[in-house]
Parts: sequence; C-alpha cells; structure tokens
Amino acid sequence: MDIIDLSVAAKTSENYLGFLDQVCDRLELDFASYATTSPMTGAVQGYANYPDRWKMHYMQRNLHRVDPTIHKSALSIAPVDWSRFERDEKFKAVFFAAGDFGISPQGLTVPIRGPYGDRGLLSVTRTCSREEWDKLKRRVIGELQVAAVHLHDAVMRSDVISQALRQPKLSRREREILQWAAAGKSQTDIGDILGISHRTVEVHLRSAREKMGALSTVQAVGRAIGLGLIYPR
Amino acid sequence: MIFVIDSLNKHEYPALLNDMFRLRKRVFADRLGWDVRVSNGMEKDKFDDLDPAHVISVDDSGEVVGCMRLLQTTGPHMLADIFGELLDGEAPLRSATVWEATRFCVDTERLTRGSERNSISYVTSEVMIGAFEFAMAAGITDAVAVIDPVMDRVLKRSGNAPYGYLGSPKPMGKVTALAALMDCSEARIQSIRDYAGIRHDVTLPQRVIA
Repeated sequence: MDIIDLSVAAKTSENYLGFLDQVCDRLELDFASYATTSPMTGAVQGYANYPDRWKMHYMQRNLHRVDPTIHKSALSIAPVDWSRFERDEKFKAVFFAAGDFGISPQGLTVPIRGPYGDRGLLSVTRTCSREEWDKLKRRVIGELQVAAVHLHDAVMRSDVISQALRQPKLSRREREILQWAAAGKSQTDIGDILGISHRTVEVHLRSAREKMGALSTVQAVGRAIGLGLIYPR
Repeated sequence: MIFVIDSLNKHEYPALLNDMFRLRKRVFADRLGWDVRVSNGMEKDKFDDLDPAHVISVDDSGEVVGCMRLLQTTGPHMLADIFGELLDGEAPLRSATVWEATRFCVDTERLTRGSERNSISYVTSEVMIGAFEFAMAAGITDAVAVIDPVMDRVLKRSGNAPYGYLGSPKPMGKVTALAALMDCSEARIQSIRDYAGIRHDVTLPQRVIA
C-alpha cells in the first residue's frame, strides 16, 4: 500500500500532514484535518492540510472554540455529515467566509474513540454536487474509518508512556489465526482448519491488523513474530 | 418505527430515552435477573454516559417496545470492560469497522408471539434493520452483540443468524449470555426484511391500515 504507515514512521507533524494528503489523494477529497484533546492536559493537538490563509483566518478568530464540527461530532459514534449543522449559527460563523478561501462547507467528521477515554476527530471536505458527495461518502466511509483510527492511534502512541501502555493485546484466536497466516494458509483454509466461518476469520484478522497498526496481513504477521506473539516457521 | 438517538440529538427525545431505560429495567433487572444498576425504575450504567447510540423501536401507540445500544470497539465498551468473562478472559476485538451491540431487548410482555406488526419477531427485525442500516452508513462492516439464548433463537429463525460467536456462553442472572457476530451488509438486511415482511423505510412513520 502506498500510504504512509504511521505505526513505523517517525511521529512528526510532517508525517501526519503527509498522511492527511494521501488520504485526500486516495479518497478524492479536497482537505483533511485531525484534532485531539489530551485527556491528561486538555491541550488540543491538531494537523490540517488546509491552505495557510484559511488556517490563519481560523486561528486568529479562535474559530475552534465555536466550531460545531469539533464540539458536536465527538458526541456521536458515527461519522457526522456537516449538513446536520447547516442551520446552526455557530456553523455559519465558522464557514460563512470559507468560500473565499476555497474551503467547502460540505464535509464530514469521523469521531474516533480510544481505549483510555481518548477521543479524536478526522474531518474531510469536498467541493462537488450533493449527489456526488453522497456517492463518494458511501464509497470511502469504511476506508476513512480505518484511516482515522490509524492516525489517532499513532498520535496517541507518540510519547514513551503511552507506547508502553499501548502494547497490542491479541486474543488467543487472533494469535492462532496469525500463526496460520504465517504458515501461508488462506482465510478460507484457516476457517476450515479451525472450524469457524470465513467471516469470523476475517473479522479476527482485521482486528489483529488494526491492533498492531499494520496495513496488511503480511505486515501484521511480521510484527507479531517480532513481538514474540507467534512463531516463525 | 425506529429512532436512532445519540448525544447529538438526545435533547429532542428525553421522554423516549426514559421509556427505553424503563424497558431495560423490566427486561434486564426483572425478567433476566442480571446484576444491573436500577434507580427510579430505570436501568442505566456507565456506558450510557459514554455517548453511545441507541436504536429504539416505538409502536403505533407511541410505546417503546425494543432497543439496542451501540458503541465503537476502538473505545471503552462492555466486552472490553465488563463482559470479559464471555470472552474467556481473552482480549476483545478492536476494529474501526466493528461496533458492539448491547442491551438488545424487546418488550415480551407487550408484544405477541406471532409474526404480525406487534410481535416479538417483527420488532426484533425492525431494531436489527435500523441498527444495520445506521452502521452501514457509518462504514461499519460487522457487529458483535451480547445476547441471550432466546434472542439467539429469534435471530436464527428470522433470517438473521449470527455467522459466529466469540468466547463461550456464560451464566448471567437467570439466563446465559453469549457474544454473537453479525455482518452489517445489504444481504443480511434483505434477508431480515424478507422474513419479517418489512419493505418500508423503518425510520419513517407508517400509516396503520386497520
């Protein structure tokens, strides 16, 4: 996969911004931004590939304090389409000048929740017709969810204490399935061997991949061997 | 008719939410005998404070007759923190595209045994269709649901059989509890619709033909 792998890349804002650029390129989006509030300090950490002029405008006016895409989306478990905020006074305050900066008020925010009560938000925008937007959303929403959690986990692991806390915890089933994958078995084979449905294999494999911050099964197998969770063969 | 209520729109439906907490008390505390916290005739726990989404079925006279609570598996959720026993002490699934469904119940006292509009099977199907459609729109591909054996049988005979289970069934109150896996897919939704004879949009009010 050509996307920056944040689980191995240096934890730098250049890499986070590069990741946002790639998400936009791959998923046909104009702009992307990510924000999180530290559960410990309350400090806001954010990255965005918006034009600098818009970032200046947004920061000088402290628009993050009223921006409903930030304050409301975190209350949802599902991605929130900004059309839900269209009639909102605060939304108008943030976005009324956005057009002058080439920013579309057409977007959505993916809320991310981590195991320690940490929360993050990945927002994306795209200028196009309503119909195109609805089609695009349906096509990319699953990938956006995975990208959002990958980015959030990387940001959360960026200090030493969090890294120690966040060693991936795989279940016996996940290790067993990775072990068979390491032996070159397909998902279908593994399901037959373990007497479980292929979709059960798939869901465990996906969970194992994401817990390890891996973008592919091959990579997850490599990492699991590296961590001593499974054996090379 | 199905309502999806989360912390974004809950201020619009305070009465509906309270009725749902009362239904949960009647089911989980009274009927199933689970060790749950009850106050003012309502069953609420700490996960209700974590901004979950509730899928709520309301019958034609405005009564709450079914519900389900959804949380992301990436964050705090019941299988990670409370129901670990069901997973035989193993780590829970964690995926951006898997949601957890808990407190899934229907009002067995009010609903009938048949398959008509006010039946257990119809309302169960309606809640599941509402939940799966909401999940699919969010990019979610699978759900892990904590259910009891009665609910498991209802699912199996209504075109909605789980494709797998996690861990092993464990006694909980007067019944056993199990963690079932279901795909959030067009195929499953269609299969539920076929069995239940539900063709309309479940989130829109229906005109009742007497």
